[in-house]
Amino acid sequence: MNWSTFRIVFLFLFFLNQSASFANQRSEEKENRYGTIIYEKHLNRSKEFWNELMPAYSKIHFFGGMGTFSIGFGWDYGKRDQWETDVHIGLVPRFSDKKAKATFTIKQNLYPWKIKLSRFFIFEPLSCSIYFNTIFGDQFWTKDPDRYPKGYYQVPTRIRTHLAIGQRISYDFCKKDRLFWKSISFYYEITSCDFYIISAVQNSYLKPSDYLNLAFGVKLQFF
Amino acid sequence: MFESHPYDVHITGERNINKKNSKRITEACKDKEVIRFVFMGDTQRWYDETADFVNAINLRDDIDFVIHGGDISDFGATKEFIWQRDILNGLHVPYVVAIGNHDYLGNGEEAFRAIFGDPDFTFMAGKSKFVCLDTNALDNDYSRDIPNFSFIEETITQEENPYENSIVIMHVPPFDRIFNNNVNKVFEYYIHQYNNPLFCLHAHTHHWSIRDLFDDGVLYYGCDAIHERTYMIFTINPDNTYTYELVHF
Repeated sequence: MNWSTFRIVFLFLFFLNQSASFANQRSEEKENRYGTIIYEKHLNRSKEFWNELMPAYSKIHFFGGMGTFSIGFGWDYGKRDQWETDVHIGLVPRFSDKKAKATFTIKQNLYPWKIKLSRFFIFEPLSCSIYFNTIFGDQFWTKDPDRYPKGYYQVPTRIRTHLAIGQRISYDFCKKDRLFWKSISFYYEITSCDFYIISAVQNSYLKPSDYLNLAFGVKLQFF
Repeated sequence: MFESHPYDVHITGERNINKKNSKRITEACKDKEVIRFVFMGDTQRWYDETADFVNAINLRDDIDFVIHGGDISDFGATKEFIWQRDILNGLHVPYVVAIGNHDYLGNGEEAFRAIFGDPDFTFMAGKSKFVCLDTNALDNDYSRDIPNFSFIEETITQEENPYENSIVIMHVPPFDRIFNNNVNKVFEYYIHQYNNPLFCLHAHTHHWSIRDLFDDGVLYYGCDAIHERTYMIFTINPDNTYTYELVHF
């Protein structure tokens, strides 16, 4: 190989290398830009997803078979935010039992009407709720333990189904007055559970004051 | 009005009924030659019929006391015990309640203990000793002293309260699946350690029955559930004989 041929080959290899590295650089940039877009999209989608799941309010609920008091959070939805789904954790004191007990509740509420009383006050004249409550403790079960013949009791003592109707009044904080909450609501409910409803249907002896209970609570709306 | 939970065991009103009423029975029957009492049971979720039963007994003046054979609740929920207690408190005569297997559902035992007292108890009526025993072994997974033979041994004695005959009350009779049938014969043996056992009473089967379960001459009388609208009357005579009657109301 003479000198001129060597120079040509050298220059060719040099430019080949340069063009290859330039091409690599371009493609890396492209990939990086492409990756960034996917990542950002994914991140935004995740944020949107988790934002959607963010509870819109919290509640402090008293009685109603969910514990002497329970704390919970939930989501409202529907055209007029008329639907609500709550989850609550409650505490039942010991009373005459051996120990205190915890409960967990999933509650579905419907507020079909809203009446604006003034600039700040909203009255909801009817709430309809169904909720399922589970109480924690070894003595409660969802199906008969194995020691019993099949179908002996058929009483799922762990799970109670409740129905409730009630009313609610809300105060909307003026935008400039908002510190933590958008609004605060006070509500009460008249409730009964499956055990009592069955007993009431079968016995005229039982009066509404026997099988109906009162519950009340506060709702703190975040947004 | 305000309820924490159907199984909250938040007891309002009278407690310790069995102990109080045992005392009342003993005092009321102290000088009586003839003892006449009513046996019924399984009032679970039949509040109308139980209220009618109370009205029917209150129309009579020949009954000394009432024994409830257990299953006072259906689900073991606290309010069930309170509702039934309030109905039975309407009786003009004292009553006592044995514990049933349904009374063990959930934490019903704690509500029963709070309102009625220990499931094993005895009381005297005239010259008769009444022994109420918890026999719901399966509900306790055979892991507790049910039937409680130690309690029987302690109460067999004649020393403090001499008695001429004895009547044993339980919710679940021997040979039932809820009873601890591994100790049937031991149970029979222990029942015979009481002085002159006249007969045994049980509820649980929901149908009136008379059976000589061990072929030993001690009859087991079973009562109807209260929705059958019947109760049994037993009369203990001074010569340690007895008669019984099934009454419809």
